[in-house]
Amino acid sequence: MTIDLANWLFVATAASYFAASVIFIAELLGRAGRAGPWAARLVALGVPLHAAQIVVWSLVLHVCPVEGIHFSLSVASMLACLAYVLARLRYRVDVVGAFVAPQALAFLLASRFVGPVNDEPRLRSALLPFHVAANLLGVALFTMAFAAAVAYLLQESRLKHKRFAGASRLPPIDALDRAEHGFLVAGFPLLTIGILTGTLWAREIEAGGAAAIARACLSYASWALIGGVLLLRAAAGWRGRRAAFGTILGFGLTLLVLVTYLVRSFGQVAAPGGVPA
Amino acid sequence: MLVVGLSHRTAPVEVRERLAAGADALPELLARLASRRELAEVMFLSTCNRVEVFALPKAADGVDAALAAIRDELAHHGGAVSGDALAAYQYQKRDEEAVRHLFRVAASLDSMVLGEPQILGQVKEAYDAALAAGTLKSLLGRCVSRAFAVAKRVRTETSIGAGTVSIASVAVELAWRVFGGLGDHAVLLVGAGEMAEAAARSLGNGARALHICNRSFDRAATLAGTLNASAVPWDSLAAELVQADVVVTSTASPTFVVTHEMVKRAMKARKGRTLLFVDIAVPRNVEPSVHGIDNVYVFNVDDLEQEVARGMKARQAEREAAERIVDDEVAQFLAWTRGLQVQPTVVAMRAKTRAVLLSELERSLGGRLKHLEGDRAALTQMVDSAVNKLLHAPTTRLKARAADGDDAGELALAIRFLFDLQEVGVAPEGESSSDAVPDAVGDEPLPH
Repeated sequence: MTIDLANWLFVATAASYFAASVIFIAELLGRAGRAGPWAARLVALGVPLHAAQIVVWSLVLHVCPVEGIHFSLSVASMLACLAYVLARLRYRVDVVGAFVAPQALAFLLASRFVGPVNDEPRLRSALLPFHVAANLLGVALFTMAFAAAVAYLLQESRLKHKRFAGASRLPPIDALDRAEHGFLVAGFPLLTIGILTGTLWAREIEAGGAAAIARACLSYASWALIGGVLLLRAAAGWRGRRAAFGTILGFGLTLLVLVTYLVRSFGQVAAPGGVPA
Repeated sequence: MLVVGLSHRTAPVEVRERLAAGADALPELLARLASRRELAEVMFLSTCNRVEVFALPKAADGVDAALAAIRDELAHHGGAVSGDALAAYQYQKRDEEAVRHLFRVAASLDSMVLGEPQILGQVKEAYDAALAAGTLKSLLGRCVSRAFAVAKRVRTETSIGAGTVSIASVAVELAWRVFGGLGDHAVLLVGAGEMAEAAARSLGNGARALHICNRSFDRAATLAGTLNASAVPWDSLAAELVQADVVVTSTASPTFVVTHEMVKRAMKARKGRTLLFVDIAVPRNVEPSVHGIDNVYVFNVDDLEQEVARGMKARQAEREAAERIVDDEVAQFLAWTRGLQVQPTVVAMRAKTRAVLLSELERSLGGRLKHLEGDRAALTQMVDSAVNKLLHAPTTRLKARAADGDDAGELALAIRFLFDLQEVGVAPEGESSSDAVPDAVGDEPLPH
């Protein structure tokens, strides 16, 4: 019964995100018609379904949702959608959903097919839930910042080339810039906590493999890059294009860190019982 | 139905403004028109682009007299413009053409700017004024309210109102695309000419602040007074670029007033905050290379006009579809009005049949019926049901014949003859005057 419920919630969530993605893309192409406003509503519908799915599925598997990569992707995408729903109350950034909804769908589907939870006692630590939770929230907010940055660059290109036709389908460029900055400001402290707890955790478990070092380097680089974007904006007025490119790069590095976790997870699937790097 | 009037298509503004009537003058004007014995219903529409009188003649054969009466009243209202001079600018339409004209006007198909939304509000104001003055009864009133529905249908089913079609509205649209709204942003007007004023009236509306910078400070101060803005000296233009978010330039300067270096310095001081220039001056006031600076957007008059042309083109493309909707609605309305012509015959036929049946019922039951109150209601209901069933086919066929535009008069005449309807006091069809129409109109729903 519970497994059935979890599966039903999974399908309903995926359907919501899928429908929202289709409508968002149609909206960008100017073909959504009256369905346009439903895209954001479907994302808002997907969030509680997704949260319920995570809770039920974690009860079925008897695991904490913020431990291990298994649920992390799913939780991160749910949080990104929640951030989107909340951000719409403050910023005119509906179109950001065109990036958030497909990503949420992809992460939700990916969470279904990645390997089992790493339950190796050696990796257990009191810091781990803080590390994962901070990183997940951070990734969710950076996803929003990334989406706003991409939309900004599209809108900026249209305005600079004086192509008015599609410009009205995107939010005002200033609103996108402010939204992107807002998400970065909110996400940066979380990223900082994630990196601090991650460093302490790595020290605790004496991690020192090549993959762990690479992951740490990528994390530090993304932290420095996003910190730099925020600092330059405050000190030297780096806004608009430069800030958008910096945000996209920073998000890319953060995503790479996630990918290294994923690769490790797939490695475990390929070689069950193997010790992760 | 009739319409007599003049518009931007037929008369220059000097003539239109003489005939225009404000809200204060309307009641008297309507009362005077309604007092003419040739007119049964009247509505006076006055906008900056048109002055029109819509009317219903009192008698079917009094159309020419009604037209003459309207022309007289317009000439009287025009004062200095003589009736003959006015005739050169006037047009008059009747019946189907008048209905079509009203529908097209309300749907903004006859406007100077195709698809502009203000006209519908102006027609509504004219309708309200006529209702308040008691000069609208049923038929013209229903025609005008149908025109509102037609306008709504045209707006819903076509994109006639989409896009921006004036320089000022494009400037506002651009400001929206960049900032979303101007509530938190300041607008700077460089120059104080007519164009700047028009743009400032649109942009300054809702902006956090509106500053006007002009070579002549006095001129800037005068304009600032009318726009609820503040004037700033010409020397402080560079400093104003740091504070403003939208800059509208329209000076007659032959050289660039805003240079690349100037904006570069301003952007440094602004810490990169977005800056939008709307340069409506010819020659241009803003150096073109300014558009290349990060977070700065410059749109000149060509860019704006291109957008205006695009908007106009898009609206023109919708014209055909909108005209088809109007044609369809005119046909439906005319069918409905034709149906009204046979309405008195239908009403009389049903009344007589019902009266005969009730009378026979009374006669058959003798004095017993008055003692059977409970049964009386049931028996009356049965009579009504019998009337409905019996007369359903002749009623619908007569109305269908009238709605199709066929000559239903002969059929109505035959019915009156066969049912001997003269006895119940029904007026001949040709005399189904407007006095008889209102009651009938109220009972008959318009087709959808």
